[in-house]
Amino acid sequence: MAFWRLFRRNRSAVFGLAILVAVLVLAATASMLFPGDPFKLAGQPMSAPGTNGFLLGSDTLGRDVASGIAHGAQTSLLIGALATVVAVMLGVVFGGLAGYYGGWIDDVLMRVTEVFQTIPSFLFAILIVAIIKPSISSIVIAIAVVSWPAVARLVRGEYISLRHREFVQACHITGMSDARIMLREILPNCLSPIIVAGSLMVATAILIESGLSFLGLGDPNIISWGFQIGAGRTVLRSAWWVCTFPGVAILLTVLAINLVGEGLNDALNPRLRERS
Amino acid sequence: MNQTVKRFRYAMKRLAQAVPIVLAIIVINFFLLHLAEGDAAVALAGEAGSATPEYMAQLRQKFGLDKPLPVQLGIYLKNVLVFDLGFSFRHNMPVAELVFDRFMPTLLLMVSTILIAVGFGVLLGLLAASGLNTWRDTFISVFALVTYATPLFWVGLMMIILFALNLGLFPTSGMENFAAFHEGWDRVKDIAHHLVMPTITLSLFYLALYTRLMRSSMLEQAGMDYVTTARAKGLTERRIVFGHILRNALLPVVTMAGVQVGALIGGSVIVESVFAWPGLGMLAFEALFSRDLNLLLGIFLLSALLVIAINLVVDIIYSFLDPRIEVG
Amino acid sequence: MFNIKQKRLGVAVALMAVFSTAALAQKSGGTYVFVLHPEPPSLAPHLSTSGPIGQVAPKVYQGLLDYDEDFNPVPELAESFDVSPDGLTVTFNLQRNVTWHDGRPFTSADVRFSVMDVLKKFHPRGPNSFREVYEIQTPDEHTAIFKLEKAAPYMMKALSSYESPMVPKHLLEGTDIRDNEITNKPVGTGPFKFVEWKKGQYIRLDKNENYWKPGLPRLDRVVARIIPDASTRTAAMENGEVFYGAFDAIQPVDVIRLRDIDGIGVTTKGYASINPMSLIEFNTQKAPFNQAAIRNAVSLVVDRQFMIDNIWYGYGKKAVSALSSRFASAGLHAATGNYPAEPNVAAAVKLLDDAGYAPDDNGVRARAVLDVIPYGEQWRRAGEYLKQALAEVGIALDLRYEDVPTWLNRVYNEYDYQINLNYFYQLPDPVIGVHRHYGTDQIRKGTPFVNGTRYSDAGLDALLASGASEPDAKKRGEIYEQIQNKLDADMPVMNLFEMEFVIVYNEKLKEFTFSGMGPYSSFDRTWLDQ
Repeated sequence: MAFWRLFRRNRSAVFGLAILVAVLVLAATASMLFPGDPFKLAGQPMSAPGTNGFLLGSDTLGRDVASGIAHGAQTSLLIGALATVVAVMLGVVFGGLAGYYGGWIDDVLMRVTEVFQTIPSFLFAILIVAIIKPSISSIVIAIAVVSWPAVARLVRGEYISLRHREFVQACHITGMSDARIMLREILPNCLSPIIVAGSLMVATAILIESGLSFLGLGDPNIISWGFQIGAGRTVLRSAWWVCTFPGVAILLTVLAINLVGEGLNDALNPRLRERS
Repeated sequence: MNQTVKRFRYAMKRLAQAVPIVLAIIVINFFLLHLAEGDAAVALAGEAGSATPEYMAQLRQKFGLDKPLPVQLGIYLKNVLVFDLGFSFRHNMPVAELVFDRFMPTLLLMVSTILIAVGFGVLLGLLAASGLNTWRDTFISVFALVTYATPLFWVGLMMIILFALNLGLFPTSGMENFAAFHEGWDRVKDIAHHLVMPTITLSLFYLALYTRLMRSSMLEQAGMDYVTTARAKGLTERRIVFGHILRNALLPVVTMAGVQVGALIGGSVIVESVFAWPGLGMLAFEALFSRDLNLLLGIFLLSALLVIAINLVVDIIYSFLDPRIEVG
Repeated sequence: MFNIKQKRLGVAVALMAVFSTAALAQKSGGTYVFVLHPEPPSLAPHLSTSGPIGQVAPKVYQGLLDYDEDFNPVPELAESFDVSPDGLTVTFNLQRNVTWHDGRPFTSADVRFSVMDVLKKFHPRGPNSFREVYEIQTPDEHTAIFKLEKAAPYMMKALSSYESPMVPKHLLEGTDIRDNEITNKPVGTGPFKFVEWKKGQYIRLDKNENYWKPGLPRLDRVVARIIPDASTRTAAMENGEVFYGAFDAIQPVDVIRLRDIDGIGVTTKGYASINPMSLIEFNTQKAPFNQAAIRNAVSLVVDRQFMIDNIWYGYGKKAVSALSSRFASAGLHAATGNYPAEPNVAAAVKLLDDAGYAPDDNGVRARAVLDVIPYGEQWRRAGEYLKQALAEVGIALDLRYEDVPTWLNRVYNEYDYQINLNYFYQLPDPVIGVHRHYGTDQIRKGTPFVNGTRYSDAGLDALLASGASEPDAKKRGEIYEQIQNKLDADMPVMNLFEMEFVIVYNEKLKEFTFSGMGPYSSFDRTWLDQ
């Protein structure tokens, strides 16, 4: 509970957490709040918010924007979380091995990381999605592929600084295997920066997904906020609500995740803790 | 003197390390692009709306797409060694020429974006750090995050509607006035006029990064021993901040800016698209969808070289700024 | 067969009238900027029929003929022509005093070279248009005589500057036609000279001071401006930065908004030569659409008017047969039974029941993936609508959007699709625009926009062949009625609606619709009210 006490001190982080919880609840209860297919042609197309029984209006085909936002929350959060998990796993493997072993392994792995950092990332994501064909899984892969190098660098730095610590040396003496030391001993000690970086990555992933959808590279069969924005952007001038509400949903979620991330940073970062 | 030699050796070593990276980028992208279904001949035929089989076979032969993949790659690599980036299938002109034409607008947009984003980011970060955990800090953090989290195309379109259509202050899009074809100073002013909206839109996105970086960097430096010493010596808070902390806190910001300029060469496809800015991002985007292999590889190659060069320069500058850092 | 010599006088009178009016001074000058999307791949209309090329190149190059809104020929580089009664000899009398932009004279040798050595060999449609031409005789500099193996009435509709541009022999002969410098820097005989192409920004053409039509062109300069984003194109139009946008430059939803703005006009004229039709292609060799019954059922269920009203904002006309109603003037149009006035779900269900498409526990009779043409947002909306509409009768669709090369490869090379949303240009004659969709000889693996359904029927092939060469209009009409009935019953392709492309223009722009070629015309008479 010491953690919560520290976290609570950052008021904006608590505010962010509240929004995030609200979004999670919305995602979890989407099918109860808005039963049925969010793609369903539910009524008069282009109804303004509050008319024809549409709380947040309907889009060009008469689909309910509010239902889309609720169902889309699931997809957008799923994409954010999955992409982050994949990126963090890749980053931990690459960064961990490079940092732990050093030498030529470090050299080779870091060159590979640099290759991926040197390719313009958004273009590379577009390339990947276009080649594997737009779908949830290709979007997740693309986001993970362009995001993992940052994690790898972070983890490598942590491993380098930890690998000569006494507790690690002690493990060596007791004959513990390298794999065990890396996973059981060192990893838990560098979890906090990974959690902070990961939380921000979820937000970035949601933004990348909306950017890809804007360019027409979203998954057409599953509703997401990016899909709604992509479908609504051409009517922005005649029916502002179609893409503005999903845009606001993205904004709030990204904002909330970032605030929580900052809160985590403040709470988990020992140096800041000592000072304030 | 010794330091100069060391720096030179360091630079050489880094350049040598860059060779396999560039090579890997070419090979990876080459094969990725060939994984994609359809080739440039199909794309061109699709654009033309009709084609005969003979026509498509002719195109493939002309582009060298009828040769086996390893041969194609070999030819490409051999040409790159003599700085020949090949021919763009779709544009029917040398890749180098096309890329060079688009490079200046890209650089213009990127440099002005970085300047604005870094300038305001540093200022906001400074203000936030100096008022840690006050309403000012919170307000700045939230402001920066909101600009970051608002979809770029939405900001861009709103800017166009507000500043171009309603207020008439700026042209909607493009880099120059194409009805007038200004020359000399008028042209410079005209381009600057067109540059304002895309720059602001793109800077808003990067602002958050620099604000946050500056804030945490300031806080980090404020906790250092030398600050305590300075305070013990009785220096005013103002002198401590501006004379000591600020200089050191700027270092990571500069590094990040260097990295970003490089990474931004690929361009912001979205801002370029919304403002019809003739940058490399849109060129690459179109190249991908017309399977214009040489062009896309050329753009990736160029941006990779730039990232490597800029990182190197930043590192060397860094070693001048901060003597504690040893190169090599 | 047809002689337009008398029209020569009419044109001369019209030109004199232009000359003598005092308004001439005010009607000349100015820079005309139009919005172009997407950026053309080249400026070589003799190598590609790409739409964006067609919006720029006809201002530089010219054809032997131009066409009016009803697709009647109008003199252009040919001041007149004469078709022999057997249709095997076509004589063109060329305009005099025509020069290329580099100063060299335009002669009958250029015509022969353009057709025989360029269009017949390198143009995507040229080999078909000039299929029957085996020789062009040039008795003098101003006469070109086309010798044909068989009569080819459709060829006379393919002689515009967009479809069959005349290109300079002296610059092309003996070179690699595809790599010639004029591919990107065109040299023609038209009203505007090519000046500069800044990729990603604009193409600039300046007035040809030595244009052969006296007093023309009126504009000093033409600039094609390239703007990738649809909303920005609309904003540029609203802001008066561009004067004209054709095809899908302005999204339908913005068209209806701009229509109401003072100073901006909208017209659907100028697309007679294109005749676009939106449609669904069924893979006739693959389940579940390998039976005519389910294809007919789809046609009965789809609410075409809903699509027109809500996705194309009223710009379109429900299809009632395999052929566009624009062929009605030629007597080649008849409504057929599987194109209902209103969607008929009950009839569709009956068809499916009778054909054995029984519903499973979830009410699903058939599952398929719908591929959607990647040419813009409206098509995605249409795909989303179709998915919902067909779900009503138990046909469950998944949507697939791919980029252009992937999609073309899938549909026309791998045939790895089940149902495909697309559109075709039916062009001024069914022989050019429609036959390619159905004929057995048009099953050409790897060639886009031909018979991708792999529908093959000997009876239909025979009808198509007789339709192509039947000179008598009434008999031709009867043949095409049989064709439409056959295609209605088998329905390898189901038409959705006749698309109505629009031109959005600034009302300062005058006289830009004088040609039936619309956006593909020269704009030599066009002027700006300044």
